[in-house]
Amino acid sequence: MFKSLGRKWGEKLEFGIFTLPVLICIAVAFYIPFAMTIRYSMTKWNGISKHPKFIGLDNFKQIFMGDANFANAAWFTVKYAILYIVIVNVLAIGLAVILDMKLKSTTWLRTSFFIPYILSLVIVGFIWKFIFMQGFESLGDSTGWAIFKLSWLGEPGLAFVSIVAVSIWQSIGFYMVIYIAGLQSVPEDLKEAATVDGAGPVRRFISITLPLLAPSITISVFMALTNSIKVFDVILSLTGGGPGGTTYSIAFDIYRDTFQNNLYGYGTAKALILFVAVLLVTLIQLTLFKRREVEA
Amino acid sequence: MNNRSKAGRIVLEIVMVLLSLLFLYPLFLAINNSLKSFGEVMSDVVALPKQLAFDNYSYVWSFIDYPRLFLNNAIITVVGLAGIILVSSIAAYKLSRTKSRVSGLIYILCIMPMLIPFQSIMLTVLQLSKDIHLTNSTWGLGVLYWGFGAPLAVFIYHGFVKGIPKEIDESATIDGASGFGLFFRVIFPLLKSVTATIIIIDVMWIWNDFLLPLLMVNGSPSTKTLTLAAYTFVGQYTSDWQYAMTAMVMAVLPSIIVFVFLQKFIVKGVVAGAVKG
Repeated sequence: MFKSLGRKWGEKLEFGIFTLPVLICIAVAFYIPFAMTIRYSMTKWNGISKHPKFIGLDNFKQIFMGDANFANAAWFTVKYAILYIVIVNVLAIGLAVILDMKLKSTTWLRTSFFIPYILSLVIVGFIWKFIFMQGFESLGDSTGWAIFKLSWLGEPGLAFVSIVAVSIWQSIGFYMVIYIAGLQSVPEDLKEAATVDGAGPVRRFISITLPLLAPSITISVFMALTNSIKVFDVILSLTGGGPGGTTYSIAFDIYRDTFQNNLYGYGTAKALILFVAVLLVTLIQLTLFKRREVEA
Repeated sequence: MNNRSKAGRIVLEIVMVLLSLLFLYPLFLAINNSLKSFGEVMSDVVALPKQLAFDNYSYVWSFIDYPRLFLNNAIITVVGLAGIILVSSIAAYKLSRTKSRVSGLIYILCIMPMLIPFQSIMLTVLQLSKDIHLTNSTWGLGVLYWGFGAPLAVFIYHGFVKGIPKEIDESATIDGASGFGLFFRVIFPLLKSVTATIIIIDVMWIWNDFLLPLLMVNGSPSTKTLTLAAYTFVGQYTSDWQYAMTAMVMAVLPSIIVFVFLQKFIVKGVVAGAVKG
């Protein structure tokens, strides 16, 4: 009996030794900062004075009642997320279907469309800034096309389009390879059976390929959503929030308030709102997609 | 019919190859202009360089102290990765093997942070890191990644360990192995394929990460990362596009070279990581 007690304690000790390190690391990276965020969000603090002043929920009141910057940034992020999610997934499915046709150049095509994904977004932003500012001028001179003469980073509407386009350019390869993997798990004889039944390519795509791609679509939409709500790097280097502050995303707005305006308390309150938004969107999406997959 | 579809395939093939070239054209333009003089960049971005200006590279190389930056990136990535794999794999193994309420709770605590966006906690992460002296040091930043990378790694390892039969643990115990010995000699080798997946997605993330290094190690030139240096460099040389493009190319070149050699593994790892995550 004594021996078994000893073994039980030994097991508990071992359990602790194996799991404690990861708990400490995660606490330092997430839980402690998160608790601090909740605390700071109810204070007024510029980061310099020693003691943040407790002001209750005033920050949140101010954000929701009359913060035009936050409202604009939120609207920008919503527009961006919708456009990005829809376009990147539609294009990626298209590319994946073509690359699944076993063309001779498949390997080359997959490599070229994937390459931008391995590059840092900040750097991608700078390269495209150069293309929009200098490259388009030269291309406009040599082709005479009006599309190159537009001010792609200088007009609010166009700057928005540029940001979406560059984000898609950088990440489409990622979604494409997920869809290719999904397509390769569609049994070949199923596609053949449909051909024999006389189904045309469009019909085959809609009634066979697309339903079987459902798991890949779930994953991709989920990833696209989580990434687009947090969009930051590419805007920082491509437009810097301009022109006229029209391309601030929520994440960028938080960054501006905390690190550029030194509104530590106010910025963390916004950060907390972003967290709740991400949480809600994730939960809604998970339940929605789960239900649909069960039905199908 | 057959001929027609064959012709269609060839047309599709040509269209796709042209499309891929167009897709990569911006990268080509970046390389192209990194090899030109200032005057040439200004007069025509599209034209090829009349004379390859490699001195752009030697200038930027020494100005930003490229070897130093590369070493910084390597330290941060290796330290971060080693820690993530070590702490996550042992924890995930134990959590997956232990069936108890505490174990389940700890597992949830480990993976829940995947829902917390980094921007929600960036200020307080910085505050805390200052308090525990992890800022302004490449090693400190590497250590900080342990916690940031753990949730996904625990999640992936946990799922995989479930598929390893318990009999393997039991027979190893009979042979006298226990604790860390059992894990590292018997279990860890069986996790090879998921470890590879985690290495691939985490290297791509840590090597290219921007915001966390910007907050943690941007204070001094000696601790900067490649991306940070490129970012600062462009800020200083707003109109010297030839240098800016050189800095960009130098910052992304290591990734591209590694990708060209390991692309099969990388694509596979990225897909596996996304599907499991």
